[in-house]
Amino acid sequence: MKQRLTIPRIVPWLFLAPALLLLGTFALFPLLRGAWWSLTNADLLRTDAAVWTGAANYSELLSDPRFRRAFFNTACFALMVVPVQATLAFFLALWVNRPERYWRWLRTAFFLPIIVSMPVLAVLWTMLYQPLRGGQTGLINALIGSIGLPAQEWLQQPHLALPAIAFMSVWQGVGFQMMIFLAGLQSLSRAQLEAARIDGAGAFQRLRHVILPAMRPSIIFVMTATLILSFRLFAQPYLMTRGGPEDATLSIIQFIYETTFLGRELGRASAGAMLFLLLVAGLALLQRAFAREVRS
Amino acid sequence: MRAMAAAFNRAHDEEGLAVHLTFFPDFQYTEKVSIASAAHDLPDVLALDGPTVAQFVDADLLQPIARYFTDEELADFAPTIRAQGTVDGTLYALGAFDSAMVLYYDRDLLAQAGVTPPPDFNGWTWDEFLAACARLKAASIDPVAMHMDDAGDEWYTYAFSPLIWSAGGRLIGDDGRVEGVLNAPGNVTVLRRWAEVFARDYAARAPIDPNPFGNGHTALDWTGHWMARSHLAVKGERLGAMPLPRMGDRPVAACGSWCWGLTRDARSPDLAALWLRWVTDPVRGIEPIIGANGAVPARRSAYALFPDYHAPPFGLFRHLQETAGHPRPRTPFYPTLTRHFAAALRDTAHGADPQECLNRAAHQIQNRVNRHHGSP
Repeated sequence: MKQRLTIPRIVPWLFLAPALLLLGTFALFPLLRGAWWSLTNADLLRTDAAVWTGAANYSELLSDPRFRRAFFNTACFALMVVPVQATLAFFLALWVNRPERYWRWLRTAFFLPIIVSMPVLAVLWTMLYQPLRGGQTGLINALIGSIGLPAQEWLQQPHLALPAIAFMSVWQGVGFQMMIFLAGLQSLSRAQLEAARIDGAGAFQRLRHVILPAMRPSIIFVMTATLILSFRLFAQPYLMTRGGPEDATLSIIQFIYETTFLGRELGRASAGAMLFLLLVAGLALLQRAFAREVRS
Repeated sequence: MRAMAAAFNRAHDEEGLAVHLTFFPDFQYTEKVSIASAAHDLPDVLALDGPTVAQFVDADLLQPIARYFTDEELADFAPTIRAQGTVDGTLYALGAFDSAMVLYYDRDLLAQAGVTPPPDFNGWTWDEFLAACARLKAASIDPVAMHMDDAGDEWYTYAFSPLIWSAGGRLIGDDGRVEGVLNAPGNVTVLRRWAEVFARDYAARAPIDPNPFGNGHTALDWTGHWMARSHLAVKGERLGAMPLPRMGDRPVAACGSWCWGLTRDARSPDLAALWLRWVTDPVRGIEPIIGANGAVPARRSAYALFPDYHAPPFGLFRHLQETAGHPRPRTPFYPTLTRHFAAALRDTAHGADPQECLNRAAHQIQNRVNRHHGSP
């Protein structure tokens, strides 16, 4: 026993070293570099000529209507996606939570969009959303036309483009949340559910008084994970609408990307990235606080 | 390109000189160059897109190249190619090929609708173009493909700026002024008239088919030299080509393409320039490249090697290059300019107010220019 306690103090650090080295090189160093650039006027093609400008990038960005628009769009997207996706995923999980083998196929079907690459799905959905023209009609317009509703230019109208992208994103991501809920449901105590049934609780009562309270940790995890993921919105609008029409689908990430690679304004883009980091970190902290409260 | 490098290396074997090519995807271009620049590890020579020359000059990445060519050789390059590589009077880049935009047409489909194409090398005015579209539409033929499915920004600026230039407008002033220039009343009128093509459903706003003309669905195709071979193969004698319709008095053609520059980090510029001379040499560089990509030769003397370029459609490319070519603006802010101008075109095509779209674009580009000059 005594021998174990006399391990030199350096040993744990040696074990930690590979991970620390990787984290330091690929996470901490770029982060600090970005933080430094955000306080300069760094040009992407001439980073060595960067001049300290203090908080100028931050104050300018916060008063830039286009940055605020990108922020607003991303928040709207999150507000549309998070509740719908989580609710849908929950009910899908309840539906496919059956022991019979053939239900597995359905679970796989719902999960499939997660593993297909986003650019492929973006092209596919752009076709599905095709506006009506001559013989060319997207499936979605054909479907709503068959129930007597007028065809829409889903991705071309400023008020429809973001909801259309949110709808596609819900479809794409719902399988992942469903799997988390499914894991939660399968760890529920069968005895408790049996007892509730014997006591005469109906399906709705069992859901409300047994399933939902037990699933609370999964629900909180899904809500916050979806929230953070939806703030990272980029590929769908970039590929489907290029941030348009009229900046209606411009996301924070696209704003940062274009500021870097089109505008070459690395300093300004880094400030945008830092603000984005603060936002996501804030959301993550909020989640932890909330989860702790629920647990206690 | 690999065969050209191999030929260069064989020819310079005794001097111990060799070219090593590095290829990377288009979308990683700025990223790779900026990393190489920060590490002072740029290649000796760099291939770059014509409209981006000015931004690399602004970032001090290129060096002047005129001294590696004789005056006679320089005069042999098409004026459009010299112009796209020249920033503030200094030549920084030259290429082996140019590009051309035309309006292809299917003679049979036009005849079915009773539309007569203009004589060779002549184009329609905008009103004549709209009238032709109306007759085609009335004959139940989809009039024109405008390729609005293109995901990139450059297509829109490249393909439709000639309308603005033909009406005497500009995208950016010489002094870098954008507000009041890009959104000038003349440009707003051009966009408003351009959008009629979509409002009247002469062209699809959101097409799926990337080649409706080649597939026989439209009678006209608003596109470039790169479709000439495939259209000829499909249509043969039925294929015709005319300059793009013009909004003003003078016909203006889009032009410009990838070219080569000598970087700041080139250790032996004299030796590196040998490659520049090789790729732009009519026999060693231009002939194999044009043979592969079907573009427009960048040097007048090279036309002797291409008999095709004496008759349409290829002859039209040459005619346009010599008479109507207009390079895109040479400004360090070109990527920002093309991003916002393309958005204005896309939004206008979908029914937004052109004045508002151009105001928004001009404002965004002007902000970028002002930030560069330290006056936010």
